[in-house]
Amino acid sequence: MKELFEPRSVAVIGASRNKLNVGHGVLYNLIYGGFFNTKHNKPFKGKIYPVNPKAKKILDLECYASVKDVKAEVDLGVIAVKAELVPLVVRECVEKKVKALIVISAGFGELGEEGKKLQAEIAALVKSANIPLVGPNCLGIINPHFNLNASFAPAMPPTGSIGFISQSGALADSVIDWALEKNYGFSKLISYGNAADLDLNDFIAYLDKDKDTKAIAVYVESIRHGKEFMKIARSVKKPIVVIKAGKTEQGVKAVSSHTGSLAGSYEVYKAAFKQSNVHLVENIEELFEAAEVLALLPKLKDNKIAIITNGGGAGVLTADYCFENGLILPKLSNETLSRLESKMHPAWSRSNPIDLVGDALSDRYNEAIFRVLKQKDVYGLIVIQTLQTMTDPVENAKAIISAKKHFSDKPVIAVYMGGMFTKEGKEYLKEHNIPVFNDPEKAVKAMKALVF
Amino acid sequence: MQLDYKEAHKVLKEYQIDFPKYEMAASKKEAVRIAKNLGFPVVLKITSQKIIHKSDVKGVKLDLRNTEEVEKAYDEIMSKVSNKDIDGILVQKMILGNYILIGMKRDESFGPVIAFGLGGIFVEVMKDVSFRIAPITTKDAKEMIKEIKGHKLLEGFRGSEKVDFDKLVELLLNVSKLSMENKDIKEIDFNPVVVNSKEAMVVDVRFIK
Repeated sequence: MKELFEPRSVAVIGASRNKLNVGHGVLYNLIYGGFFNTKHNKPFKGKIYPVNPKAKKILDLECYASVKDVKAEVDLGVIAVKAELVPLVVRECVEKKVKALIVISAGFGELGEEGKKLQAEIAALVKSANIPLVGPNCLGIINPHFNLNASFAPAMPPTGSIGFISQSGALADSVIDWALEKNYGFSKLISYGNAADLDLNDFIAYLDKDKDTKAIAVYVESIRHGKEFMKIARSVKKPIVVIKAGKTEQGVKAVSSHTGSLAGSYEVYKAAFKQSNVHLVENIEELFEAAEVLALLPKLKDNKIAIITNGGGAGVLTADYCFENGLILPKLSNETLSRLESKMHPAWSRSNPIDLVGDALSDRYNEAIFRVLKQKDVYGLIVIQTLQTMTDPVENAKAIISAKKHFSDKPVIAVYMGGMFTKEGKEYLKEHNIPVFNDPEKAVKAMKALVF
Repeated sequence: MQLDYKEAHKVLKEYQIDFPKYEMAASKKEAVRIAKNLGFPVVLKITSQKIIHKSDVKGVKLDLRNTEEVEKAYDEIMSKVSNKDIDGILVQKMILGNYILIGMKRDESFGPVIAFGLGGIFVEVMKDVSFRIAPITTKDAKEMIKEIKGHKLLEGFRGSEKVDFDKLVELLLNVSKLSMENKDIKEIDFNPVVVNSKEAMVVDVRFIK
């Protein structure tokens, strides 16, 4: 797998002069890091060999008629030729002893019997030669930590610690665009398509060992080797978040038993995820919110948390979400109560959620955060800020950040309710790796994801 | 193909799965004799390889409390079916308690999937069912029971007695074991399982090969 994600040289077979062609996009992405200009695009540092028998030069690089004409070693081959030519090209790559392959071309297993045969053919070729292959019918892979964009994705996503594995290529494209806006950072982005050779399970096992990945996010439509998936998911140390498409049963097969008709495929997946410690989410936004939180924060060791707020309503709302999501709000201990009494507003709540009262400045936040995190049966904290005239979002952010340093084994999530005037504080929190949400429900769901 | 009642009960025995006492009756007279032997109340039901949904032909008569009720029920069943379609009439001891469904189906990718739910409308209308992939652990089995919305009904609700949860857990574990060891059984329906404070009995069983 090393040659796949950290190649020293890449050949693009099917490199094209035509800007509308996938083979052009892949080459362009390798050379420049991405198609759409962003500060995150980074050019590949190794050698790039375009292969096209009809061209002399593409994007100023010398072309080769066949991968076999490249004199130097080729670590990774990215194939973007017509489906019917792929077996021939794969054979040439095997002969050239290319160490890893990505087949981007479509027109295989997803396209009926002919396609299935072609797919089986390339699978047999790489298996006997012991070369790992991604695809066919995929977007490719991106390793931002290694300046590698071996895909026809629009751009390179920000560098970070989420490893994203997607069965769908087009979805991965949109995720990148979105990650650029939201500033979600990725360690690896893998679109695996039809999985003729390497499958979801292989990539999960790889990301578990990858030093840059802290959380694994997966978009999946179906899992082919379910038993093995459960085994691997149980054994990996990093958290896995999954979104499963295909909730509704389009074509329900005829079943003869009652149980058969009850156990739709989504129910089966849900059970499998539950039994293997995989966190299932309902939508794409939640997938990355959960993944980011998992990548940034420690595990929530028990489902008991505290809420600190400067608005009673926001506190009650958050407490409701906690109840719905199985998070418990333990009582404040006598120690916590007595320590806080002298520092708080006379009207403070004296219970969890801790209402600091609307005029709270950062000193009150600071005191409450430290005291409550010291309480043994509080394992995590949600800090809510509503915007009042005296509220100082950045100063409050500093109190939260300092708590993270002192209580590194307890996750702290911020909720900055508002928009324009809380923006700076939010940015400040994000820069210091504190997850921050506008909506308390999202914060609670993210906190729940930390129980695994 | 469905296992006939003899084979089905053999499998249940092999896995220490409890079912109510029963005997087959070839005539009305025999049905009465068996009912007296087992003790009232009893249940009459047709056993048939051909008829899958016994209730469609009104082939199940519950809670028969004396000789007259058994005779009447026997005649009613026989008026709806012809002799050649059925293997006989099964006379079974009636068990009182909560109705539960436990089942299994095989998923191509994940293998045997075990289902647990309250019987009747809870399964049919509310789809209040929990699932786990076999093999399951004791913890899984306990969670499956806890997970369904109707589980409070099993804990003793408005005067009804609390069911024997250990028996239920044991039954789920046995279904898991059975599913893992008998690859030829494709689907299982225990519907209903009757559970009360003392026992968890499989009242109706269907194994599909």
